[in-house]
Amino acid sequence: MGKKSRWNQDEVFTNFIRENKENFYRLAYSYVKNSEDALDIVQDSIHKAIVSIDSLQDLKTLKSWFYRIVVNTSLDFLRKHKRVSIVDAETMEFISSGNEDQYENIDLERALDHLAPEYKSIIVLRFFEDMKIDEVADVLNENVNTIKTRLYKALKLLQIELKDEMIKGAN
Amino acid sequence: MDKKLEELKTEYKNIQIPDELDLVVERALLKSKKKKNGYKWLAGAAAAAVLFIGGLNISPAMASSLAEMPVVGSIVKVLTFTEYKVDKEKYQADIKVPAVSDLENGDLAQSLNDKYLKEGKELYDEFMLEVKELEDNGGGHLGVDSGYEVKTDNEQILSIGRYVVNTVASSSTIMKYDTIDKKNQILLSLPMLFTDESYVNTISENIKEQMREQMKADENIIYWVSGAGLEDEDLTELFETINKEQNFYINNEGKLVISFDKYEVAPGYMGVVEFIIPTEVILDILVSDEYIH
Repeated sequence: MGKKSRWNQDEVFTNFIRENKENFYRLAYSYVKNSEDALDIVQDSIHKAIVSIDSLQDLKTLKSWFYRIVVNTSLDFLRKHKRVSIVDAETMEFISSGNEDQYENIDLERALDHLAPEYKSIIVLRFFEDMKIDEVADVLNENVNTIKTRLYKALKLLQIELKDEMIKGAN
Repeated sequence: MDKKLEELKTEYKNIQIPDELDLVVERALLKSKKKKNGYKWLAGAAAAAVLFIGGLNISPAMASSLAEMPVVGSIVKVLTFTEYKVDKEKYQADIKVPAVSDLENGDLAQSLNDKYLKEGKELYDEFMLEVKELEDNGGGHLGVDSGYEVKTDNEQILSIGRYVVNTVASSSTIMKYDTIDKKNQILLSLPMLFTDESYVNTISENIKEQMREQMKADENIIYWVSGAGLEDEDLTELFETINKEQNFYINNEGKLVISFDKYEVAPGYMGVVEFIIPTEVILDILVSDEYIH
């Protein structure tokens, strides 16, 4: 790689991080639920990214690549601190079957937090970070069909009904 | 969009952004860039110290910070030669510069002390520069804490570890060791302990084994090492081998200890990490069992 393109890559990367830092922070925060740890994850992610940026083949994949680092760093953190309480699908359905009609905000939030991380990540990336379904698949390193299946399941667990276009993310 | 989903999204978008985020991000970008270009901190010794040696005798403030560390059973001493201090509301720096004294080998003492002073001064200058940049950009918090600890001091070996901790909302740490053979009055380096360069491989493989074992035994421990079930192995720069001049010291039991800075081989929360290399692993390639046994 020539010097010029190397410089470009650093420049593009730095700008990308600066412009989207608040998104990264929110994403990290949505997993770890406290500010100090979320800041740590942002810092670790940037660091990881810089040491391995040479493995990035194409700057076009920068976004999904970096988001993947943030998601994985967050999951590693949760695993380490065991703050995550993973509830399987059946338990979830059992918990939510009692109050089917009106969710209070707080219950809804808790319901989202109780989703297993592989479901929660999809909801957050698709609907809060406004990614398209194939972008989500890129970030999470899964194929589109797997992501779709999980998304339907996650929405079902949250008792949310959406039209099909909503799920895929229209252009 | 569905009402529930809308609510959740609003909650998400309302997550408050702490003031420190800017600084954490800028720091991370800056630090990483430095790492890529190699730390200035480790630049070789030069004669930049001359100016400050005078300062020790002249300034009462400097002289009063001269605290002696008692070293039992030997004449070589490590003491705080000078200290740079900044103590303002938002900016704190405390840089203690060590000096070794009473080494019979005057050249060795001189070159070590010159190096310590030069690096301490550079650290201070760098800090003041960062403060200035920060002021120009609207201000913020900044802190640096540097000092030293005597890791080992026995009949044979004196190991001094110097640390630099940069603190903002979270911190980074750099560690640097010097190990002196007190009897022969020489500074030890990693290559000179071994008969050939095979130590790089032997030690690296042993460390990787230790990393994997620790990760298996305790899921709270993470190292960037292959074959340990890391989530994002393909994304991380995995630990391959130590440097020829990797940070090391010799502990009181005569064991070789290899040290890695924060972020060098593990995520930030692991901090500075050390591995004690079992002597039997390197026995065949040691020059002698004088230091390590």
